[in-house]
Amino acid sequence: MALPKRIIKETERLVAEPVPGIQAVPHEDNLRYFDVAIHGPTQSPYEGGVFKLELFLPEDYPMTPPKIRFLTKIYHPNIDRLANWSPALQIRTILLSIQALLGAPNPDDPLANDVAQRWKEDEPGAIATAREWTKTHATP
Amino acid sequence: MSSKVPRNFRLLEELEKGEKGQGAEACSLGLDDGDDIMMSNWNGTILGPPHSVHENRIYSVKLHCDENYPDVPPSVQFISRVNLPCVDQNTGQVIPTQLTCLAQWKRDYTMEHVLVELRRSMAHPSNRKLPQAPEGSTY
Repeated sequence: MALPKRIIKETERLVAEPVPGIQAVPHEDNLRYFDVAIHGPTQSPYEGGVFKLELFLPEDYPMTPPKIRFLTKIYHPNIDRLANWSPALQIRTILLSIQALLGAPNPDDPLANDVAQRWKEDEPGAIATAREWTKTHATP
Repeated sequence: MSSKVPRNFRLLEELEKGEKGQGAEACSLGLDDGDDIMMSNWNGTILGPPHSVHENRIYSVKLHCDENYPDVPPSVQFISRVNLPCVDQNTGQVIPTQLTCLAQWKRDYTMEHVLVELRRSMAHPSNRKLPQAPEGSTY
């Protein structure tokens, strides 16, 4: 059950040169399965929160994208949007784009429709809820 | 060797299949609590097979996937009363040793496998005429 070189290299690099605010640790018994923690960006309603995710590299990775799932409850209009995957992207880049998404919620391209609706109608209120959820669910 | 899909991603696949209605025709499956991040508790329904006493009945079952699923099978319990040899008549619990797919569970089996086999058991010549409690009664 040799792990593709590409995955070994990506994992080594994630450990050797970690991305600031992001930890990704492979499970010992399944090196395609990672525990991930992303720190909420400063100046965002997610600041101070640590969001736990799990990431799995499917059999045909990188021809198909990693599968990623939030374990921490989060109030965000477009979480886990993973469009435009290209095999040139990496675990590192996908985690960075999730972190960037936390810093720039976009209610015009929503996954969570009720959250997006509120974000458009009452942005300060939505941001306050996002802050509350960060405090309740993502504060270590 | 193929990559081993972790529990939560496997359950996510089963959920997506259930929600898109891509599953077996006469069985359906959904999460009991959509907010349960661990996706442990599920509700299944089985439409009784034709040419049997179960025809047109809808049976509800609860399924529970513990943290070792799918290395171990789910536990399955009927909510609707049903008279089948593999079902404990006091509790509605499906007796794992009495249903082949549970007794000989393999990691690539799914909850849908279990529902389909239960339905097959209802249609089995030795079971299809077993006397049943009135429609709609529960454990």
